Amino acid sequence: MAETGRLTHAAPAAPALSPVTLLRIAIIVTVLVGWELLSRSGWLYRDVVPSWIAIGHALFDLLTSGEYYFNLAVTAGEIGAALAIGGLSGMAIGILLGANRFLSKAFEHFLYYLGPTPKIIFFPIMIMWFGVGPGSKIALGTLSCFFPVALSAAAGMRQIDKVIIKVGKSFRASTMQMVWKIYLPAMRHPIINGVRLGLGVALIGTLLAETKLSNKGIGFLIIQAYSIFDMPRMYAMLIVLFVLAIGANALVGRLGGLHTIRR
Amino acid sequence: MSADASARRSDPILVADDIYVRFDTPEGGVVAVDHMSFDVNPGEFVSVIGPSGCGKSTLFNVIGGLLTSHQGIVSVAGETISGPHQSIGMVFQEESTFPWRTVIDNVAFPLELTGMPKQKRVDRARHFIKLVGLDGFESRYPGELSGGMRQRVSLARTLASEPKILLMDEPFAALDEQTRLLLGDKVLQIQQQLKQTTLLITHNITEAVQMSDRILVMTYRPGKMKRIVNIDLPRPRTSEIVGSEAFGRYVAQIWADLREEASRGMRDQEDHVLHHEAPAS
Repeated sequence: MAETGRLTHAAPAAPALSPVTLLRIAIIVTVLVGWELLSRSGWLYRDVVPSWIAIGHALFDLLTSGEYYFNLAVTAGEIGAALAIGGLSGMAIGILLGANRFLSKAFEHFLYYLGPTPKIIFFPIMIMWFGVGPGSKIALGTLSCFFPVALSAAAGMRQIDKVIIKVGKSFRASTMQMVWKIYLPAMRHPIINGVRLGLGVALIGTLLAETKLSNKGIGFLIIQAYSIFDMPRMYAMLIVLFVLAIGANALVGRLGGLHTIRR
Repeated sequence: MSADASARRSDPILVADDIYVRFDTPEGGVVAVDHMSFDVNPGEFVSVIGPSGCGKSTLFNVIGGLLTSHQGIVSVAGETISGPHQSIGMVFQEESTFPWRTVIDNVAFPLELTGMPKQKRVDRARHFIKLVGLDGFESRYPGELSGGMRQRVSLARTLASEPKILLMDEPFAALDEQTRLLLGDKVLQIQQQLKQTTLLITHNITEAVQMSDRILVMTYRPGKMKRIVNIDLPRPRTSEIVGSEAFGRYVAQIWADLREEASRGMRDQEDHVLHHEAPAS
């Protein structure tokens, strides 16, 4: 995540293996070795804690099968669509609420109440409306993503320095010029933050929905592996998912890091 | 007063006629600007000076067209304004550069709004950056510059829009005294070079006397015109003039006027605090 980015930047200046790095390596090695010992001890039922060798095999099978990539693409597409629909609508609504005191007073309370509600409770409704296919997953991801983006866009809009708005007006900027050249760049940090939070919850919403009721996607494969008790395969998928989530977060963080300006 | 008479002969470029602004507050209305009329001639440097809270900034916003709920008329070259006007370029007291734009993109901003071709606006922005002495910093971000440099970026940005009237609201208020004096020199030099008509709002007597042809002294609430002082000091001037005897006389004269107003303002603010704490205790 952001941590990783900063570490690689700092690496040339710091000694090759700082105490922190050593401790981190030690923790990872301990967990890996502990896991392996536990799997070979026979204390637990077979395959509850599969050996790393078994997980490695499963991972290899997974990464060489076309079926896996097809389902990965389905899930990625669902998350991307959810982020696009939820993020853009959240941004538009957030800017509207941030700009208009009346609308903000009238509607923002609802956002605050609905925001923390677990969106999975709406999943049955989404299935009725959009079916068991990707549609209902996109709907749930969109719903999850909308709230954090809308709330941080509204807050970001209100935090814009008043004088910067005055500058735009004094140069007679049109409404569209104000939005594109003043409001949006001035609130880039809260927006990136909102998208980051939105990406996280869109991922959770989509995958959760896939594990509940679906016929495609990574969530579906995971729950399928679980139901036939193919634990190495399940763990292999969790590992890949974990790596992908870190990658996606780093990407959004990198976007937010562009033109970081001290003031 | 011969300088005044000769200045009157040309047509004024900016006319403020009977400006009156009243704000509603919980304790009733406050008159911020009370029937002020004045005009500014082409090429002239005029300062408006007054104690804190006298309505100077309100006047700034009215002339800049950002505040339209006023009575009276502001006109530029005979044209009555009803909102921000292209002939008036504003420089604000607060930090107002865009932190996400480089120096050159900040300065080119007003040109970008008018749809000027990229090469042309870059050239023009470069010219004004050089004018304020920031050449070499074109591709820096405001966050990398000092407060005085950032205020010069704001000045260059406003000058790049080539306004007929430069309208400034205490542009150096947030800077330290030495930077303020040096920056004052820079502004004077640019003003003479461009023959730029300038209206400066300030509470700083030294600054006003150093730069102005005329100073309009305002009263404390309601903000009325108290006196107009013509400054007959030779030009070109620099901050070195601050030490001269004539300069000292002007400062003393204006301070005599302002002292009364400023102490009235101070008493009023003390009363305000007392009055508002009374019900609570």
